[in-house]
Amino acid sequence: MKINPTSQTHKRIIRYAFVFGFLFLMAFIQPAPKMPYKKAGLTEQEAALHLLNRFTFGPKPGQVEEVVKQGLENWFLEQLQPAKDNEKVRVKLSSYTALSMPTDSIVNTYLQPAQLLRLAIAKGYIDKDSVDKTDRPAYREALKKLQADYGFRPLQELQRELINQKVIRAVYSDAQLQEVLTDFWFNHFNVSLTKNQVQQLVLPYERDAIRPNVLNNFSSILFATAKHPAMLLYLDNALSISNDNEYAKRQLKAAQRLVDLNAAKKMLAAAGVSEDSMQKMDAMENQMTTQIKKRKSQGLNENYAREVMELHTLGVNGGYTQSDVTELARALTGWGVKPMYEEGPLAKRFSNIPPAQLTRRGLQVEDCFLYSGEKHDENAKTILGKTFPANGGYNEGMEALAMLASHPATARFIATKLAAKFIADEPPAAVVDEMAKTFLRSKGEIKEVLLTMVMHPDFWTKAKEKEKIKSPFELAVSAVRATGTEVAAPYQVFTWSEKMGQKFYFYQAPTGFPDRANFWINTGSLLNRMNFGMAIAAQKIPGFKTNLLQLNQNHEPESVEEALQIYTKLLLPVANQKENSERIISIVRAQNIDLKIASASKDTGGMQDMQKESMTEMNNTPLKSMAQVVGVIIGSPAFQRK
Amino acid sequence: MANRRAFMKSGALALFATGISGLPRFITEAAAGTQMLPMYKKNKTLVCIFQRGAMDGLMAVTPFADPALQLARPGLFMRPTAGEGGSFNLDDHYAMHPSLKSLFPYFNAKNLAVVHGVGSPNTSRSHFDAQDYMESGTPFAKGTASGWLNRAVGLLNHAPTPFSAVSVTSSLPRSLYGDVDAIAINNLQDFSIQLKGNPMAAGKAATSFEELYDQTANELLNKTGKESFEALKILKSNNIKNYQPANGAVYPNSALGNSLKQIATLIKMDVGLEVGFAESGGWDTHFNQGTTNGIFARNLKDFSDSIAAFWQDLGERQDEVTLMTMTEFGRTVAQNGTGGTDHGRASCLFVLGNDVAGGKVYSNMGSLAKENLEDNRDLPVTTDFRAVFSAVAENHLNLKTNGNLFPDWSGASLKMML
Repeated sequence: MKINPTSQTHKRIIRYAFVFGFLFLMAFIQPAPKMPYKKAGLTEQEAALHLLNRFTFGPKPGQVEEVVKQGLENWFLEQLQPAKDNEKVRVKLSSYTALSMPTDSIVNTYLQPAQLLRLAIAKGYIDKDSVDKTDRPAYREALKKLQADYGFRPLQELQRELINQKVIRAVYSDAQLQEVLTDFWFNHFNVSLTKNQVQQLVLPYERDAIRPNVLNNFSSILFATAKHPAMLLYLDNALSISNDNEYAKRQLKAAQRLVDLNAAKKMLAAAGVSEDSMQKMDAMENQMTTQIKKRKSQGLNENYAREVMELHTLGVNGGYTQSDVTELARALTGWGVKPMYEEGPLAKRFSNIPPAQLTRRGLQVEDCFLYSGEKHDENAKTILGKTFPANGGYNEGMEALAMLASHPATARFIATKLAAKFIADEPPAAVVDEMAKTFLRSKGEIKEVLLTMVMHPDFWTKAKEKEKIKSPFELAVSAVRATGTEVAAPYQVFTWSEKMGQKFYFYQAPTGFPDRANFWINTGSLLNRMNFGMAIAAQKIPGFKTNLLQLNQNHEPESVEEALQIYTKLLLPVANQKENSERIISIVRAQNIDLKIASASKDTGGMQDMQKESMTEMNNTPLKSMAQVVGVIIGSPAFQRK
Repeated sequence: MANRRAFMKSGALALFATGISGLPRFITEAAAGTQMLPMYKKNKTLVCIFQRGAMDGLMAVTPFADPALQLARPGLFMRPTAGEGGSFNLDDHYAMHPSLKSLFPYFNAKNLAVVHGVGSPNTSRSHFDAQDYMESGTPFAKGTASGWLNRAVGLLNHAPTPFSAVSVTSSLPRSLYGDVDAIAINNLQDFSIQLKGNPMAAGKAATSFEELYDQTANELLNKTGKESFEALKILKSNNIKNYQPANGAVYPNSALGNSLKQIATLIKMDVGLEVGFAESGGWDTHFNQGTTNGIFARNLKDFSDSIAAFWQDLGERQDEVTLMTMTEFGRTVAQNGTGGTDHGRASCLFVLGNDVAGGKVYSNMGSLAKENLEDNRDLPVTTDFRAVFSAVAENHLNLKTNGNLFPDWSGASLKMML
């Protein structure tokens, strides 16, 4: 696509106009247009670090100074603007094929293992009597050949792209807040790769429903997730149908005809009708039985309706009842997924439906979303005291969701969750109140809510008192950013995050990861945080390139002590971390002094020769000492916090 | 091989702090300094194995006496036969699959019970949904944040140790989601400060880390840091790497065998394990599941031999442990067109322990004639899984659940424990 420079410039002007307009406005509302960090006793540097800690995946070397130079307010307002991938990210993602593929192409390219197997049998690549995988190599070869012949790609490749793009964007994107919020809102509207049915859809879900909306109005992200196939399948709304509408009644009539048919058949058989006609009648009977059975096995499914109120909008104490859940579920009956898998029977049947029939059955398609009027409950409903008249069709679901999006309970719930994410696990009530008010006033503008937050003194005062513990993903990415590590194998961040207790994209429950310190920190995960620190600093993570010398402008520290001074300053960048750095210095120094005494006196006791060697080597190699120092800093308590 | 000192210390202090013991400080302190702590009560341990993929309960423990079964699955039907390789007649109605040979003696010894017709009241036949419901223990609520095993440990309310709840898997299973600290670890040897190719640097760093975490003002990091290093030392001193199973037990070299071996290790180390969790996969047998041989038979043999080795290895510790298996649903009564079975409803599960009223198949299963089946195809659920889970948790762990283990459920526990 060709970019029109004029319109870009216009957009930029409009953006700046918005920025300045806002600042101008703030000047009247607040006594000072600045973020109130001075009152909280923070220097400008400290405040910049706090912003970087909370709204990015960790500061890069020199970034605190950059933010100070740009102006804290300017930096934040810039971060509030949705942005496209920057050059570095684009280059890194240029070979990722699925990222730009439409959802239905993804579904038809990255087949699920069961689909692949069935296709292999249907197309004669695998004999159905030998599917017990006894001959594994032959079995794999057959599947490989099928994939090659038809241009299918392994599903793991899709998952890998999904995982890697998250890592690459978190590390390299300049639109850091957009990425932090993508992480936040994905977790809020969680779907999971553990559910087979949605495995192909998580990438498009994040790409189409989450990321473009993270700085948008709350209702837009709610609608986008509600109508996305990943959510419709993950929380089963695609299965939820009404058995009490005109279409169901027609089907029941068909059942009656079947009974009649049976009676007729018996009569015909007695009268001696031809074998051929009898067989045709049998076939019809079978088809109808299957259809009716299928219809009857389905019904109302309340899962999405319950969770959209409990987890996505009102919150568990949001004042809704079981009856509200049921009524909302009824309003959302017929919300489903367009059949996309071309080798499956549904997609074929669907594409053959003539337009007239589409209308008659009330079928509406919007991208991958399919509204089926024939499955919708047509009766009137009452949700949270509001009556929705009969025959409201698709619109009543949208209206009900809009009502949830702008509900005061939602304002409070979302404000609390954002404050817990960005301020403290138990956020102060005053700032939450203000944020909730802004949410209601602005009708769910996420940017406005975030602005209210950073303009509130509590965001800054609590920064000193309360800390957030980095999630494993945040820890890994912040270490990469802080050390300027070049990441050629982004998947390693996933591997390590899993070890540290966050297998992202795989959290099974719709609650998403509980983002609080005591969930992230336990004995098993803590040791792996330390191991990660050592591994990244010692260059033991394949595909990670850390240049500690370059980090220090290619100046080699003269001594371990100097290394400590330099790298604590670089990795724990601002003065309020002084105490931490002093502590690290004294402890690591003590270790090294011990070591020197030990090697000087040659009193190595029962140590193995190999260990002796590595000891000597370490003392002689400043690089290794540097790596050790940096490893200890990254694994230290100070670096786990933000 | 016990080295409980570190945990006894925290355990004793916790007791003192909560005022349960009411003992003067000098006694608790003295107790903490000794190897044997009189008031330290050995924990009972519940070990759960989740068979992911939905095990065909009708093949594992087959109601061979029902003629309808043979009609529905002629290619999969087996009846008990005398001699080597035959299935084991349990009570003239049910027989155990030949692959369960290593477990059959425990059935005879009345330590092993089978519960048949177990499943969820939610009729979902999706693996994901059914596992999710079974693990959260709330078959009609997806948003339940915690898993039932995590709630069980929470209800026990014992002074926690780093190993109260351990899953030998790479990530935490849904059953252990929740407020109680639970860890997932694939290999106990990974529970250490380590750096590939440079053990010396790791050792040095470990000392630095220990001091740093000891001095941090952040309470959570401080406390967890201390626990981590204590745990690490205990594991180290117990020489996990060279663990030798007792009583001649030989674990199969399989994922499940290795998981159970590590759970046995933890049990014997007395580190306060209350719930151990392991998984077994490959039960989704849509194609050619076989009978006495084939995928199912192989998988079931691994399952049986792993559990039998575990039990043998425990030896005199068996009294402290009960093992329960579970699977998300069963499979169709009839065989399908590809020599396998499709997603069904009820399956069976196994409970092994000295406090189990074993040697019996607990079942309310009726005839398998088509008209008796759920949706004319599946073994109906006649025992709610929660009736079994709560029976085992209440009896073995001596847990007063008071409806908190399985919210929204008021059914009765199955009387299957001594």
